[in-house]
Amino acid sequence: MLSHFLLMVLYALVLSVFFTALWRRNRREQVRLFLQLFLGMVGGGLLIAWLMYPFPSGPPAPLP
Amino acid sequence: MAEPARQEGQARERPERVSALPGWVASIAAWVLPGLGHLLLGRRGRASLFFLLVLAAVGIGYALEGKLYTPVPGRPLTVLATLGAMGMGLPYFLLRFTAGYTGDVAAPGFEYGTAFLLSAGLMNLLLVLDAWDIASGRKE
Repeated sequence: MLSHFLLMVLYALVLSVFFTALWRRNRREQVRLFLQLFLGMVGGGLLIAWLMYPFPSGPPAPLP
Repeated sequence: MAEPARQEGQARERPERVSALPGWVASIAAWVLPGLGHLLLGRRGRASLFFLLVLAAVGIGYALEGKLYTPVPGRPLTVLATLGAMGMGLPYFLLRFTAGYTGDVAAPGFEYGTAFLLSAGLMNLLLVLDAWDIASGRKE
């Protein structure tokens, strides 16, 4: 359950379904928007993670 | 010629009301319980879906022990975050005052849980606006 990737996918899924139901009525447009949002969030997250991979992680952040 | 154009402009600005339910009633209902505003407006399918989605986000955030924002003196951004989280309506007050929940900063899923809880509040605020638009005839 605490896999970063799984949680990211779950978050993208919840938001994509929500905005699809909120913004589109036509089934074809719904599928299109859902795929754009879902793949955009998951793909964008993976892309940013890949770009940040070479950077050192540094010390852990202090507790707020 | 100018008169019909003016009337057309007025019609565009002030759409005909399609619901007997006042916009403010639909909006308050939508805020109190996610999906309730849409249910009262006769959108049963969307009401059920929105209810499940917002409650799912709250449930996941709670399970991950994310932060349920409360105002912190001297930190004005926490006021905004609290208002955002309070957007989820009744679940916020049940979690905060009935269950005494605040979140656990040491929990492994704290950051994700915080994102889920805050998103639940913001999603429901969008539903409040959507209910207003439907009640006032601006949207189907």
